[in-house]
Amino acid sequence: MDLENTKAQMRKGILEYCILSVLSRNSCYASDIIKELKEAQVIVVEGTLYPLLTRQKNAGLLSYRWEESQQGPPRKYYELTTDGRTYLADLDKSWKELVDSVNLIRTR
Amino acid sequence: MDKTININIAGTLFQIDDEAYRILRDYLQAINNRFRNIQGGHETIDDIESRIAEIFQSQKGLSGAISKDNVEAMISILGKPEDFDFNESETAPPVYTSGRKRMYRNPDDSVISGVCGGIGAYLNTDPVLFRILFVLFAIFGVGLLVYIILWIALPVANTDSRKREMYGSSYHSATSQYHQSDRNSTSAAPTYNQGYYNTSNAGNAFNEVFSAIGRVLYIILRIFLIIIGIAFVLIGFLAILSVVMVFVFKFPGVFSHNGINVHLAYYTDFLNYIVSPSSTPWIITLTLIAVILPMLALIYWGVKMIFWFKARDGVFSLAGFIVWVLACVALSMILFNEGISFAQSGKAITQILMTNTPDTIYIMTDHKTSDLKYDKEFSLPDEDYTIYMDDSAHQLYIPSRLQLNITDENIVKLEIEKRSSGRTRSDAVRKAESIIYNSKIGRDTIWLDEYFALPAGSRWTADFATVNLFVPENTVLHFDKTSENLFHNEIRIGLVKNNIVTHSQYDELTEPWELGNKYWIISEDGLEETRRAPSKQK
Repeated sequence: MDLENTKAQMRKGILEYCILSVLSRNSCYASDIIKELKEAQVIVVEGTLYPLLTRQKNAGLLSYRWEESQQGPPRKYYELTTDGRTYLADLDKSWKELVDSVNLIRTR
Repeated sequence: MDKTININIAGTLFQIDDEAYRILRDYLQAINNRFRNIQGGHETIDDIESRIAEIFQSQKGLSGAISKDNVEAMISILGKPEDFDFNESETAPPVYTSGRKRMYRNPDDSVISGVCGGIGAYLNTDPVLFRILFVLFAIFGVGLLVYIILWIALPVANTDSRKREMYGSSYHSATSQYHQSDRNSTSAAPTYNQGYYNTSNAGNAFNEVFSAIGRVLYIILRIFLIIIGIAFVLIGFLAILSVVMVFVFKFPGVFSHNGINVHLAYYTDFLNYIVSPSSTPWIITLTLIAVILPMLALIYWGVKMIFWFKARDGVFSLAGFIVWVLACVALSMILFNEGISFAQSGKAITQILMTNTPDTIYIMTDHKTSDLKYDKEFSLPDEDYTIYMDDSAHQLYIPSRLQLNITDENIVKLEIEKRSSGRTRSDAVRKAESIIYNSKIGRDTIWLDEYFALPAGSRWTADFATVNLFVPENTVLHFDKTSENLFHNEIRIGLVKNNIVTHSQYDELTEPWELGNKYWIISEDGLEETRRAPSKQK
């Protein structure tokens, strides 16, 4: 078994949940999300985030608007949609269930 | 000193040195390759480029060229595409690189093989329409042929990505955007040494116009190809149909023209009389391969042009081509070998003198072609040469020719010249001697056969029999109706002095079909009709 690979698989599984959670607190730029995820050590490289954002946006969970930047290109400012909030609520519930299940198994 | 290059990333201009540019270009290309085939991939690529611009700006501000170190630092922040924790199987699998639709057989919607279902999916139309069309055209044969070719050539849409290609925009509605990302990837190509890496905002209007023009050109090209394709299919189909009709069903059809029946249909039968019997089936088979293979290829290309599908036909085409070349080579070798039997020509001459020199000579036909019993008739196109085949006796009959000559001697002479060809001159002479031609001479009458025969079982080797009749000038000639045919299309008159033909010309005033049952005076000017036969000298 490859430990790194297993860890990467675990991260992948929760990454989308983490993005939605970050955005549930306040709307922000991609770079802000990255900062938080990096601090939490959920992602290793920034590039991982972008395809996920696009996918969630296309799924209707996120929306964005363009914000002019003082330096550089205009940036996307992301926020959760109503669908996104419902979806996140579901995920919160399943996360709790998942944690409970794992704990149940681990502590038995 | 490294030269610097100006590039535009996500709308911001940067100066970058040469080495760094190359690393950046490869990186962008890798990002592009990773994401362009994924649903929403172009957007991800744009986002990443924006982030790259941000990182560069935070590193450098807006002054100074971006160095290799800057680029590598940026890559370590963003990560290499292969390090992205991004689960592809959860998203749309990659689609065909150009995002273009492809035709497949549709296993989910099939009656026989899914061909019609596939066309329906490709054209976003109800497949029932194509089923009806194919059934209608199957009556003429074309539909069936096209259907079978499509059946063989079209792959089955048995994977998700193939299904996506088959349904096209019904799976993803962003075809035009894929064109844009393709455009981006080309503008990042090394040929753009001034390094204008154009993305999103600024170039969008241009990109849209260009991709619109591109689409229009593409549609025009497709229509053009479809028309050519239809022409190819029809030409190929008609050609094969003709070949099959002529050689298999012996229906000359369109090959009879201008009232002259060419009897091309009997080519294969005649072949038995030209070449050695063992090579006949080979020649026929190889000829059919040499003719039909290119026609099949033509039909296949036509179908491919019409329906524009992708097929792994390289090996197949190559094999077909090799078979065709081998067939042609084998055919030419056999034909060359057979052709050697015609290498040398030879002749045999028989002379018959009339004992007296009558004023009037009656030329009669003894054996007539019209009485001949034969199975098939074969005319060489544009040559006044017909061959009658008697298959049961394996014997050939060929009309002979008559030429008139005016001699300065006071004699009437018949010279029968038989010509043939063979592998060697002596073969040819022997063959010429074997030609059977009957003629008789009476007191004032010459009986000539309308045709000569080759000995039973012998092969045709360009055989001729020409009768030369020598008479003094002003002799009166009387022809019976059939003997006209001996002249074929024109009356030829030779002048003989001291046993040498000094001059030979066609009679321009008299035509062969005027001759029958009339008296004619022969002179250097030609034949001239006389009212009565001059009194015969006893």
